[in-house]
Amino acid sequence: MDGNGRWAAQRSMPRTAGHQAAEAAVIDVIEAAHTAGVEWLSLYAFSTENWRRPAAEVDVLLRLVRRAIRKHALALHTRGIRCRFLGVTDPRIPPPLARDIADLMALTRDNRRMTLTVAFDHGGRRDIVEAARSLIRDGVPPEQVTEESFARYLPHPDMPEVDLVIRTSGEQRISNFMLWQVAYAEWVFPRVLWPDFRSEHFWECLDVYRRRDRRFGGVQVPTATGKGLR
Amino acid sequence: MSYAAPAGTDDGSMPADPDDPLGPGSMLHPLAHQTRWGLVASRAIVLEAAHPQIGAALMTNSTFVAHPWRRLRNTVLSAQRMFDPDERVRQREAARLNRLHARITGTDAEGRPFNAADPEARAWVVATLFESTVTMCRLSGESLDGPALDRLYSEFLAFLALMDPGGGELPPTLREFWRYYELMIEERLENTEAVHVILDRLFAQVPAPPLLRDRPALWAAGRAVAGPVATAITVASLPEPLRARLGLPELPGARMLIHTTYLSTRLATQLLPQAWTRLDTVMDMLDPTYSPRPGSDALTELRRGAAKAGALLRLLTPTPRTAATGDSTLRSASRFFSEVLDQTGNGHLDWPDLAAMAREIATRLDLATEDEDRLFTAFADWWRELQKELDTDGDGRITGHEYAAATAAMTSSALIRVADVLFDVTDADDDQVIDAREYRVLFRTAFNRDPGDGDERLTRAEFVRRFLNFMAGRRHSDAYDRLFAQS
Repeated sequence: MDGNGRWAAQRSMPRTAGHQAAEAAVIDVIEAAHTAGVEWLSLYAFSTENWRRPAAEVDVLLRLVRRAIRKHALALHTRGIRCRFLGVTDPRIPPPLARDIADLMALTRDNRRMTLTVAFDHGGRRDIVEAARSLIRDGVPPEQVTEESFARYLPHPDMPEVDLVIRTSGEQRISNFMLWQVAYAEWVFPRVLWPDFRSEHFWECLDVYRRRDRRFGGVQVPTATGKGLR
Repeated sequence: MSYAAPAGTDDGSMPADPDDPLGPGSMLHPLAHQTRWGLVASRAIVLEAAHPQIGAALMTNSTFVAHPWRRLRNTVLSAQRMFDPDERVRQREAARLNRLHARITGTDAEGRPFNAADPEARAWVVATLFESTVTMCRLSGESLDGPALDRLYSEFLAFLALMDPGGGELPPTLREFWRYYELMIEERLENTEAVHVILDRLFAQVPAPPLLRDRPALWAAGRAVAGPVATAITVASLPEPLRARLGLPELPGARMLIHTTYLSTRLATQLLPQAWTRLDTVMDMLDPTYSPRPGSDALTELRRGAAKAGALLRLLTPTPRTAATGDSTLRSASRFFSEVLDQTGNGHLDWPDLAAMAREIATRLDLATEDEDRLFTAFADWWRELQKELDTDGDGRITGHEYAAATAAMTSSALIRVADVLFDVTDADDDQVIDAREYRVLFRTAFNRDPGDGDERLTRAEFVRRFLNFMAGRRHSDAYDRLFAQS
């Protein structure tokens, strides 16, 4: 969800105005994915590196996230969307926000129409390091460590591999996002800034993805569908 | 009408033994798991408080006015252990309760000694629970016939025998019991301060349960209506001679109110799905941190439903406006004094406050006798240290002002010993480091909190440092707040 700051700067507004405007895009994309039959949608809301931003901006971001959770919890639940969070371990996360996050997950835990994973205070490297630590703690012998067994130690191990990553605002970096899961993902880099990203842009990205020839390192071409897409 | 005990456990997981007086086949077992048992408990506690020994113990040692929800949660968990299908669990809990009560001693305002483990007082507690159960059935329109009453009484005798293998001081037959009960009402009970604290303060000022802690206005509005109603129902259900002695008038319409309440709770218990009216479910709604042992699939399902309903309610309730207060982790010494140290809520710090903290830790961690003794000794040492350094006027208690004035300069070697004991009971493998697994066990059992799957490893020094920081009132700690501060 890139481009909030630039969106605000283009309008001579403070960066926080960009974050505020981003909420509409989030809801639009969730709605579009839901309509498209996407079963797994992940949003990268806040990285472990984002804590380095100015305290006032972080504070506004945290408030916005809490407001958005409370505002949209019921709508997400009634649409059968299971909400999960990836990360959320930093003690700087205010307790009221942590409780709302826990409440949203508890409320929607049995929904299966779509799983929305919000990467918040997320870092792909940290997840891998944590998984390695867990493996060592469990005393798993080296010969038993395989890609499959390792993946079971990652957070939300039931999550399928990522099919499609959409990075807005033209930025073309991975930025520590779900490093393990994006190994074979297709990437699309629309130039539109995130606050302006709407359902039609999402559909365009899906269309690009459908036309891609996915080989997974081999030569066979599997059928690409919107299902299982992230 | 005769009372038919269920043929199996609530979850059908193991066959009920009809000869086990406290097991799943007993009359008491299902009753003790029903929410309407709350009517029995609130009435019984007034009758108990009128007993001079119990009244004095409640006034000087109990945290039930300051932390009623925590007290209720501990009582419910304890009751579940006392009616556990496994007799060993019951015996362990009875032994723990005996140890806990043996530590509650002192003298009342008139200089008379009291002891919470006194056999006569303990027998009276069981007597009030039995009589209140009978009263609940009668007021709910399901009077028990002779054999059912005999059976229920024998089950309460078994309950007393579990606590007091010496036999206790209740009469062996029901006929003799009623004579004993009338005699107690007429000659033993008094117009104690504890009765009026319960009726006038507990119901009227009960703080919000954890579910509504952030919604004080909503809670205050509900309590303004429910508090007087609860008082009227409790008063109207008391025996007439006692009510007269306590100077409590019966309000007009109270009879109808009491019948309606008891009848509706009975109908709710009968008509609604069993799991809905279970105490577990209601506790789950009121206190999201309440986490009893896992139950049947149906019950787990319902508990999840209750948790979801609680989550939705919290998410939909508007957030209160909070003033920007800078670093929220800092708290004033006076707030720390009233929220954490003054466990009994009487405005000053004395031994019962520290004993209540030790009890809370010992209960949550279900400590063995030896560890429990070490913990209480450490707290007693801390109390002596506090008295020596802070009790400037030598009145045996410490005011918030005395604490705030001296705490910063205080040495805390005794408090370090408290932290040491806590560290030792947590460090299960004795490797001098609380590893991630031990840390999770500590948080889940002692603090009812899931710390996540982080890789927290605490050395003794770090653990002690965090504990001292919290106890010095320097820092908020979500975990310790849950244990000591929240009601």
